[in-house]
Amino acid sequence: MANNGGILKFMAEYDRRWIYLLIFVVVVAPLLQPLGFPISVSPDTEVYHKILADVKPGDKVLFTLDTEFSGYMEIQSGIIASMRILLNRGAKICVAVGHPEATSIPQLVFDACSAELTAGGYQYGRDYVNLGYILPNESAVAALAEDFHSTVRQDAKGASIAGTFLDDVKDWSSWALIADFTTGLGTAYLRAHFALRGTPMTVNVIGVMSPTERPFYDSGIYKAILNSMRGGAELEYLIGHPGPGMTAMDAFTLGHYLLIGFIIIGNIGYFGYSRRQAKKT
Amino acid sequence: MVDIIEISIVAVGTFLAMAMFSTLYGKSNPLYSLAEESYLGFGTGLTIVINVLYIWKTGVVNIQAGDWILTFGLILGLMILLRMNKNYNWIARLGIAVVLGAQFALSFRTLIFTNFIQQISATIVPLFTGTGTELLYRWTITICVIVMLTFFLYTTELKGPLLWSSKLGEYLLYIAFGAIFAQTFMGRLGLFTGFMQNYTVPPWQTPYLLASMIIVLAIVIILDRTKTIDKWIPEE
Amino acid sequence: MSEFLKSRTLQLIIMISAFLIVFVPYFTSIPELSTFSTKLITITAIANAFTLVLAVYSQFRRGINIVQKRRRGWYFKVWMMLSIVLMCIFALLGQDTGPYHWVMFAIINPLSSVNYGILAFYMASTCARAFRARNMKALFLLSAGIIVLLYQAPLTGAFFPGIQPIALYLNNTFAMAAARMFLISVTVGGIVFGVRVLLGQEPSVIGVGKEA
Repeated sequence: MANNGGILKFMAEYDRRWIYLLIFVVVVAPLLQPLGFPISVSPDTEVYHKILADVKPGDKVLFTLDTEFSGYMEIQSGIIASMRILLNRGAKICVAVGHPEATSIPQLVFDACSAELTAGGYQYGRDYVNLGYILPNESAVAALAEDFHSTVRQDAKGASIAGTFLDDVKDWSSWALIADFTTGLGTAYLRAHFALRGTPMTVNVIGVMSPTERPFYDSGIYKAILNSMRGGAELEYLIGHPGPGMTAMDAFTLGHYLLIGFIIIGNIGYFGYSRRQAKKT
Repeated sequence: MVDIIEISIVAVGTFLAMAMFSTLYGKSNPLYSLAEESYLGFGTGLTIVINVLYIWKTGVVNIQAGDWILTFGLILGLMILLRMNKNYNWIARLGIAVVLGAQFALSFRTLIFTNFIQQISATIVPLFTGTGTELLYRWTITICVIVMLTFFLYTTELKGPLLWSSKLGEYLLYIAFGAIFAQTFMGRLGLFTGFMQNYTVPPWQTPYLLASMIIVLAIVIILDRTKTIDKWIPEE
Repeated sequence: MSEFLKSRTLQLIIMISAFLIVFVPYFTSIPELSTFSTKLITITAIANAFTLVLAVYSQFRRGINIVQKRRRGWYFKVWMMLSIVLMCIFALLGQDTGPYHWVMFAIINPLSSVNYGILAFYMASTCARAFRARNMKALFLLSAGIIVLLYQAPLTGAFFPGIQPIALYLNNTFAMAAARMFLISVTVGGIVFGVRVLLGQEPSVIGVGKEA
């Protein structure tokens, strides 16, 4: 009895630093030694994949990165897999960034997709452009939607965009698709000034934003939604090109199971010890 | 072959990252303060650089190309800066008034549609036609939105059907919060997993990660045991 | 004259004029009006970017105050202010390579990642210690949470496909309905607040006096 009380008491009152340590171990270990768990694909990812795969050669796609670097750590799998799909479809891609920390991300993505860029004969300026940080606030997004060339004249490195494929871009109607990768506010501006007017828009959101962005997908403003790192892993699986997402799914799985385990242990401790103690007093 | 710059980036990055994680030990410590102030400082510097470049590319370059009316943007911006001066901050209010008025208009003209009208029209859907699954989804969404809204009615006394609707709304909200919490955790776990993955792939980075963890933990424990952990941290 | 320039009335007139210049053309098809509206939007985009200076000014003011008074840990504030200046100098030396690039990848990116990644620990700790099935409402919350957590682990769906329809039902109905409900309420509140600001009943927004 004293022994049970001891275990139950531990389950009710253990130091939270055990939780921190176990999360570290459970996440890092599978990254060092992958376990190869299978994954399943959700309907959202299938729709997302279809929308991107329906892009036609020559379609102009605005590829927006509204994410801090921390967000990129979560959704890089979706970003890179989406870029691969668009490059394989022969789309003209214009990358724009909505956060100062994201200015380093476009080069990382291009480096990851260098094989596809080479295979598709992509040439900077003719087929793809990086405009850099041009989406700092709602006014900037609205101006871009209404008159592109009066807002943007240079790319991220200060070179003129005259003579690139962006010469044909006038306003929101010139884009075949907006592929937004987001952790925050910039998406609301793109939604309001592009998607609401009719520009097809897809979003790859971090997990925290998933519930808040779903109403817009349900109401038809977004054409597709990709959820968090898991959505990116599923997309990698669908395109047959494993990457950072699929590699991380073992850690992802174990992390979720660990949390469920903590909740169950906590409840056993609560009902077996804390509640009884409270009743005694 | 990995060059010295890449190694230094990984070594410093892992050390600072583990320094920031050291707050999990449970006590503020100077390593955490170092990481925090470094991020604040360099992050602010980065934001300054990027915004100056934005003002240059969108303002100055366009003005040089002949769009002289954008000069007002620079003038308004400089007016707003006068907020720092007690005698002239009324000038800043004029600039802020223009910016606020335009921002409100931008929000009003679109939020009404995306966040209100379209959300309501997406809720009012055919409830008697469709497949079994569609009908289940539609009925659930419609009932949930209505009863959840009644739970948050504070301007009228809840009695009769409104009271029952509110009680049902409360229970349905708890189910919703359970699902939302799970998705929120997924997001946070994804952020952490992605970060760890950044320093375990490629494998040559792993020793730096593990070494940083051990060094930071050792320093924090030593500072705690010698009771000097509070000596150097900034005052709250 | 100077009293008029400083008056709340003028500020309200300017705010409402700017509002109408941007709001009305959206619903009309007069090209000249639309062009003028777009120009004003671009002007405000540029003006908005200047507001960062105010934030930096208050950072420096606070930092210098702490250093002057030699409060505990003042040297961290010196480092913080120095790092702001250093980053600006590094940017002048080039952004693709060199010290700017090094700071970006060695300091800013890792620390930004940890800033949000650390929340996973706090969430897990909070859940483990606070989520107790004390009553029916808590039981509902826990049950829904555990089902969706199980589904989110990709391995579960691979071995137990039956969990997918249940978890998707919870996500795409209850969770979405709650999000929609909050969206509608917050939007109504936001519009009411905006109208009050335009009517001059919230002068604190532009930094004047007390509320009406």
